[in-house]
Amino acid sequence: MNAERQTEYRPLWLIAGGLVVAAGAFWMSVVLLRSGALQYLWGELELASQGWGAPVLVLQNLGASLQLLAAGRGAGLSAAGPWFWAGAGLFVVGWSLVAAGIRRAQPDPAPPSEAVGAPLHPKLARYRDFYWTTLLAYGGGLIAAELVLVVVHTALVAGVRPGGSLDPARGIQLAPPWAFMVAALMASAVAFAAGFLGAARAGRLGGPEATLAIHYFGTPLPALLTILSFSPQLDLQLGYRLREITYLAGLIGRPELGYWLVFSALVLVLTLGITSGFVATGSGRVDLRAGFELFVARRHGSVFRPRLLFKVLGVLMLGILPPLIIFAMVRAAERAVERTRIRQLGQADPLKATLALHRQKSKERTPTETMTELSVGAVGVGLMSLIIVLSVMSGFEADLQEKILGTNAHAVVQKYDTDFPEWKDVMKTIAQVPGIKGQTPFIYNEVMLTSEGNIAGTIIKGVDPATVGSVSDLPRNVNPPEAIDFLSHPEKILSEVQVPVEEEGPDPGRGAGKTRDEDPLIRIGGQGAREPALPGIIIGRELAAQLKVMLGDRVNVVSPLGGELGPQGPMPKSRPFRVAGIFYSGMYEYDSKFVYILLDEAQRFFNVKGVTGIELKVENVDDARRISREVLTRLKGYPYRTRDWGEMNKNLFSALRLEKLVMGIILSVIVIIATGLIVATVTMLVLEKRKEISVLKALGVPDGGIVKIFLAGGLQIGMAGGLLGLFSGLVWCKLIEVVGIKLDPEVYYIPALPVRVEPLQTAIAVLIAVLVTYLASIGPALKASRVEPVEGLKAE
Amino acid sequence: MAFVEVRQIFKSYYLHGKRIDVLKGVSLDIEKGELVSLVGASGAGKSTFLHVVGTLDAPAAGALKVGGASIFDKNDAELAEFRNRTIGFVFQSHYLLPEFSALENVAMPALIQRRDKRESLKNARALLERVGLAARVDHRPGELSGGEAQRVALARALVLQPELLLADEPTGNLDPATGEGIHQLLREVNRDLGVTAVVVTHNEALASSMPRRLRLHGGQVHPAENVVASVPTP
Repeated sequence: MNAERQTEYRPLWLIAGGLVVAAGAFWMSVVLLRSGALQYLWGELELASQGWGAPVLVLQNLGASLQLLAAGRGAGLSAAGPWFWAGAGLFVVGWSLVAAGIRRAQPDPAPPSEAVGAPLHPKLARYRDFYWTTLLAYGGGLIAAELVLVVVHTALVAGVRPGGSLDPARGIQLAPPWAFMVAALMASAVAFAAGFLGAARAGRLGGPEATLAIHYFGTPLPALLTILSFSPQLDLQLGYRLREITYLAGLIGRPELGYWLVFSALVLVLTLGITSGFVATGSGRVDLRAGFELFVARRHGSVFRPRLLFKVLGVLMLGILPPLIIFAMVRAAERAVERTRIRQLGQADPLKATLALHRQKSKERTPTETMTELSVGAVGVGLMSLIIVLSVMSGFEADLQEKILGTNAHAVVQKYDTDFPEWKDVMKTIAQVPGIKGQTPFIYNEVMLTSEGNIAGTIIKGVDPATVGSVSDLPRNVNPPEAIDFLSHPEKILSEVQVPVEEEGPDPGRGAGKTRDEDPLIRIGGQGAREPALPGIIIGRELAAQLKVMLGDRVNVVSPLGGELGPQGPMPKSRPFRVAGIFYSGMYEYDSKFVYILLDEAQRFFNVKGVTGIELKVENVDDARRISREVLTRLKGYPYRTRDWGEMNKNLFSALRLEKLVMGIILSVIVIIATGLIVATVTMLVLEKRKEISVLKALGVPDGGIVKIFLAGGLQIGMAGGLLGLFSGLVWCKLIEVVGIKLDPEVYYIPALPVRVEPLQTAIAVLIAVLVTYLASIGPALKASRVEPVEGLKAE
Repeated sequence: MAFVEVRQIFKSYYLHGKRIDVLKGVSLDIEKGELVSLVGASGAGKSTFLHVVGTLDAPAAGALKVGGASIFDKNDAELAEFRNRTIGFVFQSHYLLPEFSALENVAMPALIQRRDKRESLKNARALLERVGLAARVDHRPGELSGGEAQRVALARALVLQPELLLADEPTGNLDPATGEGIHQLLREVNRDLGVTAVVVTHNEALASSMPRRLRLHGGQVHPAENVVASVPTP
């Protein structure tokens, strides 16, 4: 037995062996790739993952496939055979070399010591490094937490009764974001408790157990969810049951990101539980009291001093660099004045001067204090930036959502068929569904709009003036406000809008007023001024500019299909309309693409009896999906179908949310750097106080108590920085909201920078900052507790 | 059964790859209320022995029983409590916590036990008066002289009325006159409070004034003969 090492290495053999292994592996891979064996294998495995016994089948198929491969059957492997075995041979030889380079160390030549036979000190006898119960606690806790999250969320969205049975009608049912919150809280509680109990049982942190638990117990479920999106067969089997989870994850942009973020969050909570369990049971039993430890920590360096707080707050509010520069200048001036004073004092009375010098020295700050200030500032800056940026992005998102939902419906009911004549009855059914705030029928088609020499592709919607206002903001966005009414009474258009009808001769820039009109595309005979009033059409502001038309002007709606049969096939249909109003929704896409006409007119134009669908507006926007499904159930499913606004605008909102998430992650880097600073600060504190740690231990402070002392020190920094960051972030948001940062409305479609402070989002940001501080301080605090009592004493 | 039973303590250090055996199977019995001095050459391992008995350092092998309880079988938390309640330490340097006043330093062991703060400070004040430092209760250790600080350290060691007092060269840094004051206090404490005390010292006069004298030599503890006559051999 060798006291110093277990194995000895011969470096040359190891390096040579490693190179040969690499060469062999490379050789084999090239052969495999070129022979197409990998594609063959993957194909076999994909088929195998169909059943729920997927892992078993995969293994079985893997074995069979490998056998076939070895027998040479499978895409040209037989030709490559010899090369492959050559590569494999090289691989094996390489490993043999590596093995030869490692040998057990020679036994100690020194004779046995005199201590042989004496009772072993328990510290050496009890050197136990692994607790199975702890592993089961951590692993079981993680799995349980993940399952709780999935099951509770799915149940709450579907509607669950206290007994546990699913009951959409009478059970507790929450909108997806709230259901997720509840499920996440419950899962976090489980993970925390598991970590706490596991660490308490072992009396240590249990790093090895935690690593194993996270890797082997925690990852299967998120991995399964990730694979779900890549394997259609698996998706068929499980996708339906997990649809709520995938929907929720999809809300933030990329579902895979969602799964692994939540997994990381659960691991974080587990770690918190572990550290808390260790700290709390440090004195043998669960001891959460920290009065003494706080007493000591406060003496080490108080963070909640007015001067420090004001200084950091000033830096945060006035923009980081300028205040720092000003502080530095003020301090330099102060020191110069003080030096002059002492010199003058010295010339008068030397002893008094030395007293003044001593006082000055004792007021100087130690490096640790400086670092503490920096850390508080860093946490504050990180949190403030996070809050401001996330709030501004939320403002943009809210603005966009408002604009989209102002013009579009929350949900749409359509038929798989082409026509929908029974729409009036369907509307009666829908009206009975709770949560429906308004509904309106519509016809939807793509047409072209032409004016004098201009042409544009548009989307035409036939609307019912009576109900359209209950679903869309169109009545509010249109100018003149009675334009909706003009659709029903087109004869009012020209009289209300002072536009001369009769005007001979060409008039550049105005399409209206020509009695003998000729549509530039299609020749239809113009009719006299005493024709019945042209039906009204409401177009968007951008479209009006594009077509160069104004209120009262005439435009032609041209549908490429559906006209009579001509010599070359169906002829395009064209009808003249009069601009009854111009709407401005605030979104370029809508203002340049949508046009509205009366529902009856649309039915006549497209020759249909029914409508394209029914638009719905719901009370609670977040719940639109559930309500639209409820509607579908009432309508008894096929041939009807429903879509909610999330689905219809999925790409846009996904992109927005992904952007916000990525921005949040990037800004979190600041917080992470602040964390590093806190680690450094607490480490410095620990190094400074090594002697004291030994003395405290000699006086009987347990390991857990030492951890608590330095943890308190680090947490102080986190809390102060967190509070200051939160305060300054909120104040800045308020300032932006009240004072406003102007934006060019032509470019941004919004007059000033929008800000929306979402309480939940802000709370999560603060929570993350504080938690990250906790984790940062735990490391050095644990190191502090490992200082042996005698180490610090001997250092003298 | 003695109050303190030490059996076969082995402790070594590694220095530059060489093993230096300091304690080679030390065995010792100390009765309750004894006042013992431990002498020996520099580097012989007296401090090491004291640290081992006070559970500040762990030996490679051996057993320790105090008041019948096997000490090395205790886990870390129990050891901390043992140190807090049963043992009082006085070191060569006073090792007072510099950010706390003399009063708070003396009260520290009681505060560690989370006892009532006011009560603990009251007891601490009484003890400081006992050692003659009533005028210095609110001073920081940096503002005390060497002898005063050492007296504060002694008061701190006694505040919870420990059963075992371990002193490692308590007067090593002090002049003879001040040192004698400390020795007097030690004897008083042993006599009046019945505290068992082990005092490691270089001071021949102090050692000879103790009822029981031991010598640490060659990694073993033997009773010391006439201390003045024998010259310690390495």
